[in-house]
Amino acid sequence: MRPVARSAIAAGLVLLVSQSGAAEEADQGAQLASTCASCHRLDGGGTIIPSIIGLGEERLTNALLAYRASQSPNHIMHAIALSLNDEEIASVARYVAAQGK
Amino acid sequence: MKSWTRREFGRLTGAALLTALNQPKARGQAKARVVVIGGGIGGATVAKYLAATATAIEVTLVEPRQSYATCFFSNLYLAGLRPFESLSHGYEALAKQYGITVIHESAAAIHPAVKTVALNNGSKLSYDRLVVAPGIAFRDRALNGYDEAAMEIMPHAWNAGQQTRLLRQQLESMEDGGLFVLVAPPNPFRCPPAPYERASLVASYFQRRKPKAKILILDAKDSFNAQDLFQDAWNRHYPGMIEWLPAQFTGGVTAIDAKTRSVITEGATFKAAVANVIPAQMAGRLAQQAGLANQSGWCPVDPVTFESALQPGVHLVGDAIIGWDMPKSAFCANSQAKACAFAIAADLTGSARFPAHLFNTCYTYLAPDDAFSNAISFKPVDGKLKSVISFISKVEESSEVRRQAARAAEGWYDAFTHDVFG
Repeated sequence: MRPVARSAIAAGLVLLVSQSGAAEEADQGAQLASTCASCHRLDGGGTIIPSIIGLGEERLTNALLAYRASQSPNHIMHAIALSLNDEEIASVARYVAAQGK
Repeated sequence: MKSWTRREFGRLTGAALLTALNQPKARGQAKARVVVIGGGIGGATVAKYLAATATAIEVTLVEPRQSYATCFFSNLYLAGLRPFESLSHGYEALAKQYGITVIHESAAAIHPAVKTVALNNGSKLSYDRLVVAPGIAFRDRALNGYDEAAMEIMPHAWNAGQQTRLLRQQLESMEDGGLFVLVAPPNPFRCPPAPYERASLVASYFQRRKPKAKILILDAKDSFNAQDLFQDAWNRHYPGMIEWLPAQFTGGVTAIDAKTRSVITEGATFKAAVANVIPAQMAGRLAQQAGLANQSGWCPVDPVTFESALQPGVHLVGDAIIGWDMPKSAFCANSQAKACAFAIAADLTGSARFPAHLFNTCYTYLAPDDAFSNAISFKPVDGKLKSVISFISKVEESSEVRRQAARAAEGWYDAFTHDVFG
């Protein structure tokens, strides 16, 4: 096999792998976001409990990190955030942020 | 051109949030079939999440009732703080928005060996996977004299519906100064704080309308869920109105006499003006008949997939399962249902598997403007569901914090029922 063809195949593989990586991250985000939906209406409606739609990835990430760090002001969000590792916080924040667009 | 209101637009973007998962196995094959029996919180949630995220699966929901009334928040109705209609949720959105086939029939029998469900109308449904969410049943002969006829005089009101309305009517027509007796069940039972929340909210109703009335709780246990929070609230809000007698004081409730509306313990007989008898419980009848329950009366499952330990290809969620540290609550049923739906989707369509996140969150009312909350996360450990992190409100919290929790609970009810039925 010619080197050019081989590297083209390799590049294709890399692309495939990264695409499926992104798809997998989105699926992880979707599954994690199902937990959010038990308390936060994800259609932009709802009362009293704040909406998480339209907040943006950075704000969601920072909020989850802050909730994970402290029991105050909300022990429910503290328990939820404590169960998430960094990678999970990143995927759920990215996923929920993308839905608001 | 149609102009979109913010609400309608929100609904559209929200519908997009439950996006389809990648389902590599499913390409070019006939659709896999999942049948869900039971349209309570667990069953409806499994059906919705499968239909919305595993688009390669055809979902059928079998539920005889046209609508479901939630047990959670029914204590607010009993206290005259919420109309009964506000507890009721139909299946239209599950059918129309998510394409679930909803069959309003009872399941007569299941045949796991040939993977079929027989319905009461004589028809048969084939499945690749079956989910059974039968809720609870009352144990036979748990209390002498407490039969179907006695339930119409001394209601349990532990499945929301006609029984709940009956109890409300009785409380409304009770004279001031009457004794309301609440018989609290042994563990495990549906919604551990609920009998005590019921006593609290009925007390708030009595305080407003029948200030001389008394409440007596005859418990099958010697302690109960969040006891310090309840007893603190009873002293603060309803001094002298609620008396709780543990089993060690009474010897336990042994019989019911519906004719005299009396509750009989080992040592004494208590004649009630209104009695709410909540009997000992077990997994719903269908689970018993189908061999899904073990000798405990509850259903053993795999803590990751919620597949029955007794019948392969059949999954169970909600109050009927042996949940280990997970209590029998609507929130747990909803959380288990999502994990179960994603596990079934992974098996049937090849979608990716991730560690499940299981939670319980409950808001419990001590008075109309005083509620507490708890939050627990669970993980499968050594074949069991173990609690990992647990928080609960504290006795010394300010009344403002409690007022906020009572308001948050209303927002939660709206969002949660929307997550299940909307």
